[in-house]
Amino acid sequence: MAVRTAIVGVGQTHHTTKRNDVNVAEMVGEAVRAALADAQLSVKDIESFIFSNMEAFEGILLPDHGIIAEVGAVGKPGFKVTGGGTTGSEAVGEGCHMISAGLYDIVMIVSWQKHDCGDATAGISAAAVPTFAKGMVTGAVSEFAKQALGYMNESGAREEHAAMVRLKADRGACRNPYSHLKLGLTSVDEVLKSTYLVWPIRLYDFCPQSCGACVIILASEKRAKKIHKKPVWVADFEVVHQEPFRAGSFGDPTGTETYSQHVACERLYKRNGITDVRKQVDLAEIYEPSTWEEISLYEHLYFCEKNEGWKLIEKGVTEIGGDFPVNCSGGVLATNPIGATPVIRIAEAALQIRGDAGEHQATRDIKTAVATALGGPNWTALFLLKRSL
Amino acid sequence: MAKVTEKLEGRDVWVYHGKIHIPNTYSAGAVGSRFLIELRDNKRIMGTRCPTCNLVYVPARSVCKDCFGKLSEWVEVSRQGTLLTYAVAHQGGNPVQPSALPITYGIVQLDGADTGFIHMLGEVAPEQLKVGMKVKAVFKVKKDRVASVLDIKYFKPLKRSK
Amino acid sequence: MAEGSPAKQPEQPEYIRIKFNLPRPYNWSTGRYLGKLYAEAKENKKLVANRCPKCKEIHLHAPTPVCPKCKVDMGWDWVELPQTGTVFQYTYQVYPLWDPHVGGIFADPHPPAIILLDNGVYLRHRLEETDTKKLKEGMRVQAVWEEDYEKRGQGFQDILYFRKIEE
Repeated sequence: MAVRTAIVGVGQTHHTTKRNDVNVAEMVGEAVRAALADAQLSVKDIESFIFSNMEAFEGILLPDHGIIAEVGAVGKPGFKVTGGGTTGSEAVGEGCHMISAGLYDIVMIVSWQKHDCGDATAGISAAAVPTFAKGMVTGAVSEFAKQALGYMNESGAREEHAAMVRLKADRGACRNPYSHLKLGLTSVDEVLKSTYLVWPIRLYDFCPQSCGACVIILASEKRAKKIHKKPVWVADFEVVHQEPFRAGSFGDPTGTETYSQHVACERLYKRNGITDVRKQVDLAEIYEPSTWEEISLYEHLYFCEKNEGWKLIEKGVTEIGGDFPVNCSGGVLATNPIGATPVIRIAEAALQIRGDAGEHQATRDIKTAVATALGGPNWTALFLLKRSL
Repeated sequence: MAKVTEKLEGRDVWVYHGKIHIPNTYSAGAVGSRFLIELRDNKRIMGTRCPTCNLVYVPARSVCKDCFGKLSEWVEVSRQGTLLTYAVAHQGGNPVQPSALPITYGIVQLDGADTGFIHMLGEVAPEQLKVGMKVKAVFKVKKDRVASVLDIKYFKPLKRSK
Repeated sequence: MAEGSPAKQPEQPEYIRIKFNLPRPYNWSTGRYLGKLYAEAKENKKLVANRCPKCKEIHLHAPTPVCPKCKVDMGWDWVELPQTGTVFQYTYQVYPLWDPHVGGIFADPHPPAIILLDNGVYLRHRLEETDTKKLKEGMRVQAVWEEDYEKRGQGFQDILYFRKIEE
């Protein structure tokens, strides 16, 4: 796939629990101005806009129509993407499609979610098709709880390993000025004291609901180098669909997203000649709504062998100073405005490649990174970012 | 859990009469809050002005849609203006709109504003409405004003002196 | 065009938040395929699903017109499923959360579970046992139906829950 698109601007808001001082449009406007400042572009330079937001959480139908003026999009082309947790990455993918097809040179991806407007768990539960899945789904938490149980049984991982994941995420979040949850946790015992939500997922095992926005400006190959000194190239990406809530589909009784993760990885890695991820890729920003999900993702994304994921966290391989840093930014465990979260993963990976991540910059030099997203529909999105093509 | 399915006549197809009920709370934001608080506390209708385009936006907003500039100049506009257009709803039954039928909506350009302001029209029969007529805001009494756009009860026609 | 006096800046900002708390009514149809499952459950207290003509897989949850694997027309080959199985996995809610279909905070006392029916098909449902200490993966369970004919017609919910079979 000939994707020759670069990220030339990145902007985000300071993600937090409540933003009473702004309405939705104004919050998004903050991230838009930050991205324009990063790219040193004016809003007039943006040729098309793609919006990423999940309507169920703010409860406002057609969310893009309310923010058009605030983002400088009046009179410009564009459209909205909604796809569960993967929404933002699909939006970035669409931007890459449009630029690679030669339709536009500069596209802005605007993603946001203002969770203080509603109840995310209730919104996700509303995705259960009422005629056959009503009452079988308690938001995302129960899905991840079932998956965590399965993993513990098969691999021998213990609750302490999930606690170590939260500690790593918290250390990253405390170094990242934009992250939401900065808990200041210091020990595994402290994490294990937190209450259970849906067994065995504890409060600290799960991500928050944040108010925030993240904007990425994409440019074509011919314009990218003139706009930014350090463009980050989207070398390739893959989005794979799957069905949600169907126990037993594709051999996976828990009905989780493993199938789409494997398919996405097999296709993308094969196309790019990646046979040993930890050697050929330098860093990952993965979408982990729960600590257990991060451990499972290490295996499903082929960072390690099956049932070995918990060993990576135990040995510190995925720490900010480790051989294969994962989620130096604090990840989804620290910050989760759902419509924006996948875009934040891509933005953070881009900052790492540029060397602009400040205090949460990984120790080793990052030339190639992988950014992922997953969501309720069990889709997987996988991006490969590079410093040079 | 409530049992609310209904079988279609003569076919093995059911319809589930359900609901999605998720409570929402919206922040008006700093600019929106100030607009609403002025309605509640002072019965004043405020707009924000773009110095570059020389446009006054009512209700007050924070960005100019034409030049993308941030708006920080507040101006008070008149409580009366011109009715640009209107519509009369004879059918309703929507839980979101609890007013009695028929409901008349109008877009009013208040004197001093460059935008239209949507609200309801009252104290006038639908047949008597005319595009271009002068209307005036009628506010609720102080104890009923809660920093909502409904602190204005409706707009009514200005009486013309004979 | 601007007339009028600018207002004084307030010293302590007061932020207005507007609440909206109303249910949105919807009507959802089961369609023909899921409707067949509803019909068999109501009339005969049977669980049925359709089988793909190509890969021969049974898709219980939920009967569908197109096979998700083969992408062919599933056809009308209906199979009756056993009503006993083993508990593959279960979980239980500790912290009650808002349920959008109920319109309130609701914690189902019956633990949701994935049950492996005796013919190898997985089903998501609930367990009768509310004492979480008595739950065990691998325990044998049996479907318990709503006996009142008038109350049936809710599809999968015509089975109230799965009860532990005393061995």
